[in-house]
Amino acid sequence: MSKIRGLPPAVRDPGPGVELGVEDGLLCQLIHSPEFNLFSDSVVFESTFIQVTKQGNWMDAYERSATMIVGVTSSVPSLPLPNVLLMANVTWPHGPFSTCSTPGAPVITLSRILPLKYVELQIYDRAQRILRVRTVTEKIYYLRLHEKHPQAVFQFWIRLVKILQKGLSITTKDPRIQFTHCLVPKIPNSSTETTPESSLPSSSQASETIMLLAAERTSSSLLGLSKRHQLTGDGHTDITPETDNSNTCKTPPLVASSVNMPMRATLTHSLWEQEDPNENFLQVPVASSLGENFLGP
Amino acid sequence: MAYAYLFKYIIIGDTGVGKSCLLLQFTDKRFQPVHDLTIGVEFGARMITIDGKQIKLQIWDTAGQESFRSITRSYYRGAAGALLVYDITRRDTFNHLTTWLEDARQHSNSNMVIMLIGNKSDLESRREVKKEEGEAFAREHGLIFMETSAKTASNVEEAFINTAKEIYEKIQEGVFDINNEANGIKIGPQHAATNATHAGNQGGQQAGGRLLLSPFLAASCPVEHALCPPPSSFVLS
Repeated sequence: MSKIRGLPPAVRDPGPGVELGVEDGLLCQLIHSPEFNLFSDSVVFESTFIQVTKQGNWMDAYERSATMIVGVTSSVPSLPLPNVLLMANVTWPHGPFSTCSTPGAPVITLSRILPLKYVELQIYDRAQRILRVRTVTEKIYYLRLHEKHPQAVFQFWIRLVKILQKGLSITTKDPRIQFTHCLVPKIPNSSTETTPESSLPSSSQASETIMLLAAERTSSSLLGLSKRHQLTGDGHTDITPETDNSNTCKTPPLVASSVNMPMRATLTHSLWEQEDPNENFLQVPVASSLGENFLGP
Repeated sequence: MAYAYLFKYIIIGDTGVGKSCLLLQFTDKRFQPVHDLTIGVEFGARMITIDGKQIKLQIWDTAGQESFRSITRSYYRGAAGALLVYDITRRDTFNHLTTWLEDARQHSNSNMVIMLIGNKSDLESRREVKKEEGEAFAREHGLIFMETSAKTASNVEEAFINTAKEIYEKIQEGVFDINNEANGIKIGPQHAATNATHAGNQGGQQAGGRLLLSPFLAASCPVEHALCPPPSSFVLS
């Protein structure tokens, strides 16, 4: 009888993101663990890096002191863009080389949480797969993607950097899109919450939006940081956009997909409710770490 | 390492009062005179023992700069203790305590223990805030008070540990509901795993207060050792 009570447990296939080691990874498990219990409804996109010098050399003769896990996530799962950068150190308390017969277990220690609006990500060296992370306080990290990651993972980071710099097509960062409609009704109702498709734009705008979304589909997938979305990479090659409208039509609810979110939070963080795009600049809460990411520097 | 309780601390106060230096002194027992401005949160952790029980302090070091203030407010949630720090050589940092306290009271649980810290006590010749003023402020607002020096380590241990003692006493008195995570207290695993590194490592498993995970990094040993197997698991702390 207990099986029919409530919703069935969520069944999540280990998607390609998990297989690639960029989802449900160590950092994700750490921040979702009872010790931190942070951003528990948001997916974490993460990779392992080696901190290197500007020239690409190891910071330390021993890799153990320079291994980091860096990830992005969203403080609110419904946000279309990640707004939090996570950094964790990987250390080997007993040394990776000390006793070959019983090598020490590495320890993952969360070191920093940074609002992404105070961080600039750049691809510093594609060939060496080095990411440059610069904070607003001019702290600069050069991070070389761990050699165990396949090339597809660095492609995800390239795409992430591009999106953070230029925005998704569905965000107001894209000057090609003129918002004239409320995509989220100002008066909340249950149908909006349960069937986000009802908040789609009108047909003419929808067709343009769909085209743009198709072009950015993989980006959207990458940044669909709600746990209900999975990375769509095939694990080997860069992703080609799908043209299936039924799929692309489902992308807008990334913004309005907070079915389980309190409505206040949904409205607070949604720019889609603004009829006048100019109002966005005045009404975005300063406290929202979404703000600068969304609106651009 | 196993612990009986985990207490979340938050360190707050104006920029440049020495919050990060206090944390570094407490966790690493060293002083770094020049420190990058903190943005977001930097984390530290240390085990202490109170009443024979191992307690893990998870310390959130926050940004003091005014421009980051709105973000700092979001980190109060779930803190069991707060270290509210001012600089005894800068009167303005003392004058701002009321604002910090209002923020702390407003955004944290009402039982949060607050330790008021007058830092840089080694700079006696440049003192602008008398010790008595700190004591009076603490008395008026129901805070614990200490003067510390992150540079000389004077009273640093005591500041962190006395805060934990106060929290522990509140737990004993039943003031804190330890089952409510919003209080910033978590009960640790009751038994340390005796074979932590041999525990099943698929999907993560709590053992001894650390999370053992399947090792993506298992083969990350930078040197290829033909006879050296990869680590059997990873430990999150």
